[in-house]
Amino acid sequence: MRIREHAPGARAAAVFVAVAAVLAVAGCSSSSSSTSTPASSPAAASPSSTAVSTSQCGTKPGVAATGTPIPLGAIATNQPGTSFTDIPNMAAAYFACVNANGGINGHPIKLYIETEQTNPAQIAADAKQLVQTDHVVGIVGNTSILECTIDHAYWEKLGYFIVDSGIAPECYSTSNSAAVNMGPRYSSDGAVQYALSQHVSKIVFDQSNVPGTGYIAAGPAALAAAAHTPIVQLTENVPISDANSVAIKEVDDAGPNGAVVLNFTPPEALVILQAAQKLGLENRVKLWGCSTPCNTDFLAQALGPKWNNKLFVNAELTPPDVTNTPAMGLYKAILAQYGKSVSGGIGSFSQMGFAEAEILVHALESVKGAYTVASVNAAIKAVSGFNTGQLCQLWSYGSYPMHIPNNEDYTVTPDNGKMVIAQGCTQISSVDPQIAAYRKVAGTAPSAP
Amino acid sequence: MPSWLDFQPFIVSGLALGGVYALSGVGLVVLYRATGVVYLAFGAVGAMGALIAWSVINAHAPDWLGWLVCVLFAGAVTLGYGMVFGSALAGREPLVKAVATLGLTLILFGVMDLLWTSSGGESRSITLPTDNGGFTIGQVQVTWTQVIGLAAGVVITVVTAAFLRYTKLGTAMRAMANDREITATLGVPVRRVEAAAWLGCGLLGGIAGLLLADLVALDATTLTFLVISSLAAALIARLRSIPLTFVAAIAIGLIHDLLTPIAALSNYRDMTPFVLATIALLVLSRRRLLARSREEG
Repeated sequence: MRIREHAPGARAAAVFVAVAAVLAVAGCSSSSSSTSTPASSPAAASPSSTAVSTSQCGTKPGVAATGTPIPLGAIATNQPGTSFTDIPNMAAAYFACVNANGGINGHPIKLYIETEQTNPAQIAADAKQLVQTDHVVGIVGNTSILECTIDHAYWEKLGYFIVDSGIAPECYSTSNSAAVNMGPRYSSDGAVQYALSQHVSKIVFDQSNVPGTGYIAAGPAALAAAAHTPIVQLTENVPISDANSVAIKEVDDAGPNGAVVLNFTPPEALVILQAAQKLGLENRVKLWGCSTPCNTDFLAQALGPKWNNKLFVNAELTPPDVTNTPAMGLYKAILAQYGKSVSGGIGSFSQMGFAEAEILVHALESVKGAYTVASVNAAIKAVSGFNTGQLCQLWSYGSYPMHIPNNEDYTVTPDNGKMVIAQGCTQISSVDPQIAAYRKVAGTAPSAP
Repeated sequence: MPSWLDFQPFIVSGLALGGVYALSGVGLVVLYRATGVVYLAFGAVGAMGALIAWSVINAHAPDWLGWLVCVLFAGAVTLGYGMVFGSALAGREPLVKAVATLGLTLILFGVMDLLWTSSGGESRSITLPTDNGGFTIGQVQVTWTQVIGLAAGVVITVVTAAFLRYTKLGTAMRAMANDREITATLGVPVRRVEAAAWLGCGLLGGIAGLLLADLVALDATTLTFLVISSLAAALIARLRSIPLTFVAAIAIGLIHDLLTPIAALSNYRDMTPFVLATIALLVLSRRRLLARSREEG
């Protein structure tokens, strides 16, 4: 069938080229928004336990703080497909709880949250906005694809010591950033380390084709080399448009006694794992592994029981479903009462925000006198051996040229729609040269009680 | 270089994807021929339909209801857009008409990001019953969904070609492709014909969205931008030939997937639609120039 031309081909070609270019950049539009600590809300994101009272989060239960606010700031990526705002939003929820129960010596905490769309100029402007306009005295809850890379020199120059959730290498390799999470490299280390402990004959490590893959890949490569196990490093353009092909390639490369280890966001990991399942590939390798982003019940539910004890996921934080400590109870209670804006509910993101807010409150409570940039950041830097209740280890900042304070983790596996612990707290191997370098300067942190 | 055996599974996955691209490409070509609009929101309406289907199914409604809602939603939104903006922009340049549909794309994209957020690490998926069955060719597992993907492309291509050739409505669409104004003066109900084209294109968008949500991913970004592969297929066919659109779509799906096991090229396979479309445009332009120079000479 051939029907006659409506418009000249050249004009149609021009349309195609123009619209393809517009489509390609459509997701990259820039905008910025600013919010402050939300007021308390009666109910939130469906947490399962509220046995612990939220009045424990402050020193004066039931007494609202009315003093001069202590301004803190955060920068988070928020763009279609990638949003980390749950982390500062959870920190804000924690601060709202503190404010409702006495504050910090009567002073409420005000958290300014800036969002960015992976635009370096915008990220730099966000930092200046927080410092010059909002006059923040501390930075907590930063979670951004690029923020550490762009802003670390600025924070170092001004003397801010950041408590964040790290993604970029500079979140771990610079003096003024300390994360509560491991980030993609060390989490991938954990997943590969678990696979190696199961005596697999080969590792296929596959990750998103985004800036920084070389830095991440270096950790698993070092671990595999030390175990004399071959490793194949792959990268995939995201969003993945051919999950079946990706799954087939991974399984073919790994072989029947090998392991496929993924480092992707949950939706991307899910499409690969589901493609493998549809094609009957899940049992064609010894095991599948995944870095921390896969540690969600969403993923466990979507995958189903075929992946029980077949998929092993690195977990940087204490699994909340199977942990019943006071700290975990407080986390769930705050999420329920103050976490209306935490869309993901219980999970790694909100745990990180909780832990970061805990650390800041702990630091602020030690400040004597006025809450200035100097006094607050000196207090943050001095945090040592703090039990967040969310990590395997006690957390410390300290005066080090680099910071990887979370370097011990769990491994979890799906169990009929839930993630359960497959391996308890295990140190990431010092075979990774970055871990070795950190332990050399900071030592090995004690395990949390 | 991988062996023939290594390539085999990628032929299956490539054919399935190519089939769905063909289905989408045919929808785009038919709409373009009838209205002069390059419908860039094709992927977005399918994506949103699939996400609505996911919500319906997760509310414990029957699966078939979710699928139906997906297809109807895509049809209704496309028809609505065509009725409101299609006629209003009928006299404008093709680029203006195309960019207007980009506006619809961005609106739907924003709504999807708002309603089906992934800020807490949420993962969603649609699994069709046909995923659980299939057969094996050699060592290659083929699911019924993959078969449906290819079959849908073939069926839609044949049915659309026959429709345009043998039905009254199809003839009217072909007449409009030649000249909208003259067709109208001949008594053809232009708006009704255009409405049929918009609705048909939207329904195909819904079917494609559902199939791609299963074959690729239930993700707003992924599904929205998969329109590029279908658009490239339609462009290779110069936005007019239905069979050539099918062949181009299958070629894009196959070449894209067959590049996967070749390590040196694997990371560049997403360029397949752009490269093929560019080559096709250059070759076609060269042929046209040669033909014109022969005529003049």
